[in-house]
Amino acid sequence: MNNGPLILGIETSCDETAVGIVRGRTLLANVISSSVEEHARFGGVVPEIASRAHLEAMPSVINEALRTAKISLRDLDAIGVTAGPGLIGALLVGTSAAQGLALALDKPIYGVNHLSSHLAVDALDETRPLKPAIGLLVSGGHSSIIQVINLVDKVSVLGATIDDAAGEAFDKIARLLELDFPGGPAIDRLAILGDRNAIDFPRGLASSDFNFSFSGLKTAVSRYLQNTPKTVRADVAASFQEAVVDVLLTKALRACTETGVEALIIAGGVAANSRLRSEAIRRCAEAKVELRIPPAALCTDNGAMVAAITSLAVSAGMTSSRPGFAALSTAPVERPIWA
Amino acid sequence: MSNILTIDTSTDRTSVGLVSNGLLLLEFHHDDPLAHGELLPKMVEKVLSSGNSIDLVAISMGPGPFTGLRVGIAFGQAFALARDIPWVGVSSLAAMAIAHDDPEFIVAIDARRREFFCEHYLNGKLFAPSRTLQREDLALITLPVYTEPPKPLGMATLAETSLSVLEPIYIRKPDAHPTPKGVKFRAWTQIDLVEVYGLEKLVYLDDPWSMAQFKEEFAGTTRQYLVAEYEGKVVGYAGIMLAGDVTDILTLTVAPEFRRRGIGREFLKRMVDWSRNQQVDAMMLEMRINNIEAEPLYLETGFRKIAERSDYYGPGLTAIVMRKELRK
Ligand SMILES: [Zn+2]
Repeated sequence: MNNGPLILGIETSCDETAVGIVRGRTLLANVISSSVEEHARFGGVVPEIASRAHLEAMPSVINEALRTAKISLRDLDAIGVTAGPGLIGALLVGTSAAQGLALALDKPIYGVNHLSSHLAVDALDETRPLKPAIGLLVSGGHSSIIQVINLVDKVSVLGATIDDAAGEAFDKIARLLELDFPGGPAIDRLAILGDRNAIDFPRGLASSDFNFSFSGLKTAVSRYLQNTPKTVRADVAASFQEAVVDVLLTKALRACTETGVEALIIAGGVAANSRLRSEAIRRCAEAKVELRIPPAALCTDNGAMVAAITSLAVSAGMTSSRPGFAALSTAPVERPIWA
Repeated sequence: MSNILTIDTSTDRTSVGLVSNGLLLLEFHHDDPLAHGELLPKMVEKVLSSGNSIDLVAISMGPGPFTGLRVGIAFGQAFALARDIPWVGVSSLAAMAIAHDDPEFIVAIDARRREFFCEHYLNGKLFAPSRTLQREDLALITLPVYTEPPKPLGMATLAETSLSVLEPIYIRKPDAHPTPKGVKFRAWTQIDLVEVYGLEKLVYLDDPWSMAQFKEEFAGTTRQYLVAEYEGKVVGYAGIMLAGDVTDILTLTVAPEFRRRGIGREFLKRMVDWSRNQQVDAMMLEMRINNIEAEPLYLETGFRKIAERSDYYGPGLTAIVMRKELRK
C-alpha cells in the first residue's frame, strides 16, 4: 500500500536526535543519532550536553532520513515534532528546527505528545487494524499505564510511577552492582546468569490502583547488598528484574481486564528487556490478551513514532498547531496533538 | 538583488529582519528571555506574509546564553535547508559593533550570573580579544559601553562581507565536562587522610580543617566520606553526615585542575543516593556566598536557598544555607 500522507517527524526530548519518515502507516526511514555515549561518562543524561548534540546532529539526521526514504522535503504533506514532555532545552532545538522547515516549505506542522507517540508506533503495520488498547510505557523517563481508545484524541493515563521511572530504577541498581550506564541492558545480560527466585524483593504498591513505586524496591536491593556482602550479583540482578517485570505486567494485565480491552502495547526502552518480553508473551497468552510489542528500534525514543502519530492526525483531519506553539517540559498525555 | 533574512536570539531579545541591498525592509523584535521559541516562528511568518523572496539567511551565532541561541540557529539552519538557500553565521558582538562609529568603544552582552561578554573596538576594528567582565568591572570602564542587541542591518552587512561563523559561540563552557576516564569513586580509608588534608590546605588557604578534625571525622559514625582517585592520587573528596531528619553535606572539594569535569556532580549524586537510603526528609548544606562554581550545580540538583548566615566563614564571609527536599 502506497498511500496516505507523507510525514517527517522530529524527536529531541531527551538524548536521541531522531528523524523518521512515514507514508500513511508505512515506515520509510528511522534515523537516530544518540549522545548516550557522552552521557555514559556522567552516569546519566546531562541536559546541556543533550541540547548541544541535538543542534550539531540535526541537519545531517534530516538529510540522512530524506536519503533513506528517497524523498525530498517538498514532497511532504506535513511535519510532526515532539513538543513535550521532555528536557526543555532539548525540546526547543527540535521544535525550532521543525518550525523552520514548516515555514520555509509552507507545510502544516503538528506539535505532538511524546508519550502518545511512543504508543503510535503500533500503527506502523498497515496489515493490522487499529483498535483500543492498554499501553504499558516503560523507559528511563516514564512508567505509565495508558488507555488508548484512539491515539490522536482519546488517550488517558490510568496510572504512573509516583517516584522513579522503571528505567531509572534499572540505572540505579546497575550503579549499586557496579554495572555500566545505561543500566537496563547491563542488568538484562547479568540476570540471565542468575536465579530470579533467589531473593524475594518487594513488589511495591501492590494495591488495587495502577500506579507504580520503585523506590522501596531500590532501598531493599541496596539494604540487601549492604547486609549480604558475599552475595551472587547475578542473583540480585535477576531477582530485582523479576520484581519489576512482575509488578509491570500484573498491573498492565489487570488494566486490560478491568477496562475490557483486549490488546496490550508495550513500548519504551524497557520493552527491549528480554525477561519482560518472554513473561509478557506467556501471561498475555494465559489472559487471552493480544500482545503488541514494536520492534526494538521503535521502542526507544525515535522519529518514526512522531511521524506515525502525525500521520494519524492528518488522516483524521485534525487542525495543525499554530506557529510559535510552546514546547513544554511537562505535558498531559490527554492532549496528544498541540493546539 | 538579494534579500537577507536575519535571525538573532543571542540576547534576551528575539529579532527578525529582512534586508535588501543595504535597505531594511522589515523588522520585528521583542524582549523576553524565555520566549525565543515562541516569538521567532511568529516573526518569520510575518516576514513571509510580505511576499518577498529570501535568498540568504543570516544567523547570530552568539556569544549568548545556550538555550535562546540554539533556538535561532536550529530554526535558521532548517529554514535554509528547506529552501535550499545558503545561511551565514555572524558574530553578535561584531554585528552590534558595526552600528557604532565612535573612535573607541566596548560592546557587551549580558552573560547572566553577573557577567558580561565584551569586545573592545578601536577605529572600527576589534582591538582586544573578547573577554568576560564582572558587572562591577564593567561599571569602571570610561569608554562608551553599548549593550543594544544586534540589528538586522548590521547582521546583513556582516553576512555579505565577512567570513561565516560556523559554530555557535556559547557564552561560557558547559557546566558539565566528562569525568576523565579512570577517575574512581570509593569510600575513604585511613591512608587517604594525608592526601585529603594536603588538598584541603591547598583549596581552603584561609581556613582549612585541621588534621585532628579529619581524624575525628574518620572516627565518627553516621557519616559517609568518599574520595575521587585518579592515577593513584586523591583529586577530590566529599563528606556527608546523618543529622536527625536530614543529612548535612560537610564538605565537597575537588582539586582545581580537576574542576568542571563532573566530579562534583558525581559526588553529589552519590550523596543524594546515600541520603535517600537513610530515608531522611531533606539534605542541607552551607555554601560560601557567590560561589559561582558550585552554586549552579546545587541548584540543578534541586537545592534551594533557605537562609543566610553572616560571618559563618569568618568576618564578612556569609554562608548560604541550602536545602533539598527528598520526600515528595
Ligand atoms: Zn521516551
